[in-house]
Amino acid sequence: MEVRLERINKRFGAVQILKDIDLVFPSRKFVTLLGPSGCGKTTLLRMIAGLEDITAGKIWFGERVVNELAPRDRNIAMVFQSYALYPQMTVRRNLGYGLRVRGTPVSEIDTAVERVARILEIDHLLERKPAQLSGGQRQRVALGRAMVRKPDIFLMDEPLSNLDAKLRVTMRGELRRFHLDLNATTIYVTHDQLEAMTMSDLIAVMHHGVVQQYGTPAEIYSKPANLFVAGFIGSPPMNFLEGEISNRRFLVGDGSLPLPALQVEANAQKAVLGVRPQDLSRAPAAGQDTITGTISLVELLGSEKLVEVQLQNRKRMSIQLRADAFVEMGALFHLRFDPQRLHLFDKESGNIIPASN
Amino acid sequence: MLTRKQLWRAARDALLYVSLCTVTFIVCFPLIWALSTSLKPKSEIFATPPTLVPRTLTFENYEALLTGRQQYYHSGPQTAPSGPTPAQFFTRWFVNSVIVTAGSTLISIVISTLAAYSLTRFRYWGRSVVPYFSLLGYMVPSIIFVFPLFLMMVRLELTDSLWSLIFGYVSITLPFCMWLMWAFMRSIPIEIEEAALIDGASRYQVFRQVVLPTALPGIIAASIFAMIVSWNDYLFGRVFINSLDNLTLTVGVMLFFEGTHVDWGLLMAASVLMTVPMAILFMALQRHLVAGFGAGAVKG
Repeated sequence: MEVRLERINKRFGAVQILKDIDLVFPSRKFVTLLGPSGCGKTTLLRMIAGLEDITAGKIWFGERVVNELAPRDRNIAMVFQSYALYPQMTVRRNLGYGLRVRGTPVSEIDTAVERVARILEIDHLLERKPAQLSGGQRQRVALGRAMVRKPDIFLMDEPLSNLDAKLRVTMRGELRRFHLDLNATTIYVTHDQLEAMTMSDLIAVMHHGVVQQYGTPAEIYSKPANLFVAGFIGSPPMNFLEGEISNRRFLVGDGSLPLPALQVEANAQKAVLGVRPQDLSRAPAAGQDTITGTISLVELLGSEKLVEVQLQNRKRMSIQLRADAFVEMGALFHLRFDPQRLHLFDKESGNIIPASN
Repeated sequence: MLTRKQLWRAARDALLYVSLCTVTFIVCFPLIWALSTSLKPKSEIFATPPTLVPRTLTFENYEALLTGRQQYYHSGPQTAPSGPTPAQFFTRWFVNSVIVTAGSTLISIVISTLAAYSLTRFRYWGRSVVPYFSLLGYMVPSIIFVFPLFLMMVRLELTDSLWSLIFGYVSITLPFCMWLMWAFMRSIPIEIEEAALIDGASRYQVFRQVVLPTALPGIIAASIFAMIVSWNDYLFGRVFINSLDNLTLTVGVMLFFEGTHVDWGLLMAASVLMTVPMAILFMALQRHLVAGFGAGAVKG
């Protein structure tokens, strides 16, 4: 089922939490609301669930406005960050609660619960209480409780953030598989860009209650709409250099770099140049497309090495190299910038200055 | 062969157990003495040297209390007391105590649970200060409240009825019960309720099927508090009630002291019977009591 948000606003007293949110979550897609804490993503999810009032705007489920609909009448399921299992009920009763309160016959409940428990491999835990389960098991029960009713829309509020790093990676794959099996629209909230990039069909990056960019993970990574998105997406984060555009070159400190052709040619415009550590390379000697600095920090990440180069203007740039690359602290380093891989942003508005291609 | 360290440990443990046993004995001594006296025949109660374990075991005191049979202190009708004796009313007072305790506890728990739920879950003016103000009443001695309450009971024409005690006890137990339930309810994550709402439950179903079972340790702790206060109260019972029929145990048992003769055997048997219900309740529920007060302490 398609979910459409039309000029959604949320205020708590004088504080505006969400501003004119317009989003379409296409049917059966996995869409992630991504942003730092306090950006309003969870509030938006709760509004879709019916747990939070809508100050202004409309929420559509298919052809129906659901603003006034109680949560239980929306045919949604939600997985909470804290799992929110009913502590006094066994896993079996937790899984079946949604069906029970809706008056489903006992035999059907049993069948549905056992089917879901088998899929999630928790069928041996059915008689236990939540307190007797590990974090990963609780997570599965929470998922199972959401799956058992076959909802139209799945809402997930940072469901992986309480798990340890290894389990999180496993569960990422599983959540994606469940989504494909269940064929429901999934709206997922996270502050973890890696989760968003690996699991989503579409990502809405949010900041200060505003959607900064909405697109596929590849678009958001390769064509960030503004400085916030550019800085938020990608690990290690993008490098930024402040300077000025002049005659298709970018002037920074006492150096300059070639720029790609821009859609609207700009001259003497203050700008910020962004480049990902993976898009920089090492030049054997200084040239037209390089800036020189000294190596100030080397971090071994395993298969790669993250090298921090301090430029003459004291600005630091990170570059990712192969782990076996030879680098020496304090040595001179020539950073090569590929014009096709640069991102230019207007300094004032923070918005992208689009290249012509 | 024990090593020096093992010996030291054994000696330390022995000392610890001896001290614990001594303290336990001192604490329990009045109860043990009451039990012992209640099981002695009258001739043995003042025997010298006194006996802790009765030489002759008798249940005549309990029989007298539970059957309400008139007891004669000595043989011969000339020594029989004139008028009714406290023993005749014992079962009646016992039932009265049970009624007022159960009634006031039930009312306190129902109101405090609903109030705590409202205070923690709905937004309205003053909801954050109400729980703290409710405790102010405990800063002054309850005798201050007795006379205003008594005058109110007179107005309501409830004096000398068990209702006056039920309402009186509600007025002293409700604020603390509400505070305890409030602290407990705050520790129940709201997500559990939201999950139930999304699962399809109505507000009432959420309260009954999710909130109440989760709050059970708090409810038990608050109930025990309310029961102890009501069961043990003397002041309200003394002031509000003036007919023998409507007395509660605490006030009634004091009547055993009146007159020229104190029947210690009967008095001790009455004390033991008074203690038993609370002791059983405590033993059965103490696990929940600790959990309940613990949650309140941390979150409150």
